[in-house]
Amino acid sequence: MKTVRDIGLLFQRMLVQLLRNPVWLVVGFSTPILYLALFTPLLRQLAGQPSAVVLDEFLPGILSLLAFSTGVSAGFSTIFELKGGVIERLRVTPASRFAILIGPIAASMLMMFVFDAVVVAVGVGFGFSVHPGGLLLLAVFLGLLMILTSAFSVAIALLTREISGFAAVVNGINLPVLLLAGVLIPMSFGPAWLRVLAHFNPLYYLVQSSRVLGAGTLTGTAVWEAAAVLVPLCALTLAWATSVVRKAVS
Amino acid sequence: MTNIIATTDLRKSFRTRNGQVEAVRGVSIEVGPGEIFGFLGPNGAGKTTTLRMLTTLLPIDSGTATVAGFDVARQPQQVRTRIGYVSQLGGADELATGRENLLLQGRLYGAAKQYVAIRAAVLEELLDLTEFADRRVITYSGGQRRRLDIALGLVHEPAVLFLDEPTTGLDPQSRANLWDHIRALRDSGTTVFLTTHYLEEADALCDRLMIMDHGLIVAEGTPRALKQQVAGDAIVISLREGERDGQRAAAVLTGQSYVRELSEQDGQVRLYTGDGGTALPRLIRLLDDEQIGIRSIAMSEPTLDDVFLRQTGRSLREGPEGEASQASPQLAEKEPAR
Repeated sequence: MKTVRDIGLLFQRMLVQLLRNPVWLVVGFSTPILYLALFTPLLRQLAGQPSAVVLDEFLPGILSLLAFSTGVSAGFSTIFELKGGVIERLRVTPASRFAILIGPIAASMLMMFVFDAVVVAVGVGFGFSVHPGGLLLLAVFLGLLMILTSAFSVAIALLTREISGFAAVVNGINLPVLLLAGVLIPMSFGPAWLRVLAHFNPLYYLVQSSRVLGAGTLTGTAVWEAAAVLVPLCALTLAWATSVVRKAVS
Repeated sequence: MTNIIATTDLRKSFRTRNGQVEAVRGVSIEVGPGEIFGFLGPNGAGKTTTLRMLTTLLPIDSGTATVAGFDVARQPQQVRTRIGYVSQLGGADELATGRENLLLQGRLYGAAKQYVAIRAAVLEELLDLTEFADRRVITYSGGQRRRLDIALGLVHEPAVLFLDEPTTGLDPQSRANLWDHIRALRDSGTTVFLTTHYLEEADALCDRLMIMDHGLIVAEGTPRALKQQVAGDAIVISLREGERDGQRAAAVLTGQSYVRELSEQDGQVRLYTGDGGTALPRLIRLLDDEQIGIRSIAMSEPTLDDVFLRQTGRSLREGPEGEASQASPQLAEKEPAR
């Protein structure tokens, strides 16, 4: 009960911080729109298909990408808050350690869903076909991946403490994860070893399932696989990250 | 008297690139309720590390610590509800107003909204925040921010307030103002535990203090008692040819009957004598006979710096680049705890 209350308070705190940061809002809204605006024409040429078909295939992947990048960058504000003493101020209160971790993540998740909704709305304008059931389940998966990557990112930020060390880890992870997820270039283009490697990438499962779900199929193998990978991985990462918040030296 | 803070043989070491660093090497403290207790020492002495162990922020390696009647390692939640902590960094949300910060902080301690609102108003009044409580923190001056930070630490009426370098970076006027606020807190029954590397602050503000260096307590007592340890007057002589004459002057003066203690550093000789008035002309004559040129000479009653110097052989007066802080660069790097 106390944990729920603490999550609520820290969720609200983060939401206020985000909404009062105009730069963050502008970038947050424009990034996904830019992706759509720049990649759709490119893919249309490549595939020789009309926008509607390309969007059906591509838009769910963009949402997955957005979930990943939102999550991975969560640690940047953690570093900022460490430098400002905010993390210490929160850790010295009796607030639940889990709430200190998840409260802000929940606030960014809400904002992410707002951005997602905008992307879908814009997509619809260009012919993207909406399958409500599929999109809803996709939202659950997007949330799971976002929590998983956010918790990981926050924990790494608490452990590295410095922007340089943190950025090195995040950038090092970004490239292989994004490449092996098949968002922009389908993995079927790659050699067998690359496709095997992709199976160790949680984002890959999300992207695979997102295409199926985007098309309105709720029960494909890709969906089960995504659930089987994301749910336990998310739980494990949260447990680990909470213990990092509990013991954080900084 | 039951102690509100008690530790025995507290220790903490960190792994750094240069190997294991012992930041705190066996610190035992006893602080009674309602006093302003100070930790004085140079940067990197282990003050912040000790403070962070006492406030549940840092796991304790060995030794025991009890704060407000609870064991810090085993009952961190009970300790947290009874202490306030204001770090060097403050930690208020810059995009929120002062009042919003206070309201959130109070609610994180589990208090009801209505109660927190009343409490916030009381603290705004107490720390002179009312005027700008509805402005965003990012617009605050250094002194205003510091007072808000302290209000945040007090929102749940803690029995003990920990302040880490509360006046660092403040102008003299804001500093004096903050001292008054801290004294008022003590007078209303709150125990205040603060760290500082300012001699004047330790002297003027603390009822009792410990001097810390290299992770160890080197002296303890009231400022007055500590200064009395260094009986007599302190004389500091700067030499014109510092490089050359420092050692010579030290050699000449060391044998004199009226010189009790003497140290020499970078062409500056510092000595203690029972009666400065009679010693002064004699030592000037002596140096003159040896043709050692004097640039300046100063006599003072002993300060806490003299106490520190006597215990460690170094002066606290040196700035951040001085020897006092360079003596343990790894610690200095580790300790700010950002």
